Amino acid sequence: MRSMSLALWGGVLLSSSMTGRLDLLLQSTFHPLVAGSGLVLLIWGLQQLWSSWREPRQRPSPITWWLSSVVALLVLIVPPNPSFSELVANRPNQLADDSSLSFVSPPAQRTLTDWVRLMNSQPDPKLYAGDPVRISGFVLPQPGDRPQLARLLVRCCLADATPVGLPMRWPKGFKPRADTWLAVRGRMELEEHNGQIRTVVAVQHLNPIPRPKRPLEP
Amino acid sequence: MQRLPNHPLLGPITGAALGFALPACECGNVPVARRLIAGGAPLGTSFGFLFAAPVLNPVVIASTWAAFPNQPWLLAARPLGALLVALTLSHLLRLIPEAELLTPALLAERRLSQPLTQVGLLERSSGLVGAPVQAITPPTQRPPLGEVLQHSSREFLDLTALLVMGCAIAALVQTLMPRSWLLAVGGAPTLSVLSLMLLAVVVSVCSSVDAFLALGFAAQITPGALVAFLVLGPVMDLKLLGLFGVLFKPKAIALTAAGASVMVLLLGQWVNLIRL
Repeated sequence: MRSMSLALWGGVLLSSSMTGRLDLLLQSTFHPLVAGSGLVLLIWGLQQLWSSWREPRQRPSPITWWLSSVVALLVLIVPPNPSFSELVANRPNQLADDSSLSFVSPPAQRTLTDWVRLMNSQPDPKLYAGDPVRISGFVLPQPGDRPQLARLLVRCCLADATPVGLPMRWPKGFKPRADTWLAVRGRMELEEHNGQIRTVVAVQHLNPIPRPKRPLEP
Repeated sequence: MQRLPNHPLLGPITGAALGFALPACECGNVPVARRLIAGGAPLGTSFGFLFAAPVLNPVVIASTWAAFPNQPWLLAARPLGALLVALTLSHLLRLIPEAELLTPALLAERRLSQPLTQVGLLERSSGLVGAPVQAITPPTQRPPLGEVLQHSSREFLDLTALLVMGCAIAALVQTLMPRSWLLAVGGAPTLSVLSLMLLAVVVSVCSSVDAFLALGFAAQITPGALVAFLVLGPVMDLKLLGLFGVLFKPKAIALTAAGASVMVLLLGQWVNLIRL
C-alpha cells in the first residue's frame, strides 16, 4: 500500500504537468518543480515496492493511506472541467496597481489583458474610441450588465487569480454563453453607462475557440 | 538538538530564526517541527519554529515584498507580528504539561530521545531500574538509507492524508460560503480584522503565496485587517487543523486557535490605530 500510494501521488504530479492540467492551476514558472517532485515520488514508490518484494512484511496500512490513494486515483481518472466564470464570481475585481506601463503595443496587437492594463493606467475613454480590437477570452456574465469578455491573471496559483474583463456590445441576437471561449474582432466605441462614459468593444466578428492551452495569464 | 536553548524568550526566537535555514510554508514545517519535538528539542524552540518560521523565512518575506513593494511597513509588521504570536503561543502551550499537550505517539518518541536526567522510567516506559543515569549519546552509525526512506515515506503519507482532508474541508467551506460575504465589511476597523481572520482560516492558502492573494483585496480593507490575514493564515487555518493533529491533543489545538486569534485581533487593532 505504501509503495502504491507514493507512486500514485507521483503519477498525479507527473501526469498533471504533462497533460496540461497544471496549466489550469499554477503559473508555468513552478511547473518543473511539480514535475520533478512527481518523478521523485514515483521513483520512491518503486523503490519501496522493490524493498517490500525483497523483504515482505505483513503490516496493515492505516485507512488514511487508502483514502489518500483513492483521492489520488480520482484526480488521475476524473478530467478537470473548471468554470472560470463561477470562480470569478467569488473574486474581487481588482487589478494590481500598474500605474505606469513601460511598453504599449499597437491597438490591433493588444491582448485583452493589455487593453485592461492600458485603460487602468490611462482611464480616459476618449483615447481609445475607434481603435481596432482583436482579442480572445471567456464569456463572463455580469450582474445588471451585458456579459464581458474576460481573462484570469495569476501571479502564483489559482488561489490568487484576478479577473480582468472588457465591456462588450455583442451583435444583435447573439446570446453569449458563460465560460465559452471566443475570439473577437471589433472596434472600441463609447457608450453611456450609469451616467458615465465608458469604452466598449463593439463586436463585428466573433468565432468560438477552444480553451487555450494556457488559459491563465501572468 | 539538545543544545537548542530552553530559555522562555530565547527558545522561541531561535526556533523562529530556524525558518531562515529551512524555508517552508506552514504545511512543510509541521513535519519538521514534529521531528524537532520527537528528537527531544526544547518545546519553546519547536513552537517558535512551528508558528513563526512559516513567515520568518526568505521566500515569504520576498513574496510579501513582491506583492506589496509600495508598503514597506508591511515587511516589518508581518514578521514582527508572527514572532509576537509565536512567543505568546509558545508561552501559552508551555503552561500545559507535556503529557496533556502532545499526542501519545509523539510523546512516546520524545521520551525516548530525552535523557534519563529529565524523564523518569515510568514516563519513558522503558529502561532499566538501577542503571546509572547517563546523558543520551548520539548514535555512532547513521541509519541505513532503506530505513530512512521507509520512515520518511510513512510520515509523508500520514501527512498527505491529513493535508488532503484539510484541503477538502477548506474547499467545501469556500464553495458554500462566497468570499464576498467576508469582504463585505471591509471598511469597519474591528469587523474588517475579524472578517479577514475568518477568511485566512477558510481559504487555507500557504504562507508563501498568501501575499499575492491579499493583493487582490488589499485596497478594500483596513491595514490592520491585511496584517491579520497575513499573520493568522500561517498559524491557523482549516487545513492546518488536520496537520496539527499529528502534534497536539485537541485541547492544545483549541488553545492554539484561541490564543492565535486573540493575539492577531489585538495586532490588527494596533495596526489600525497606528495606520488609520
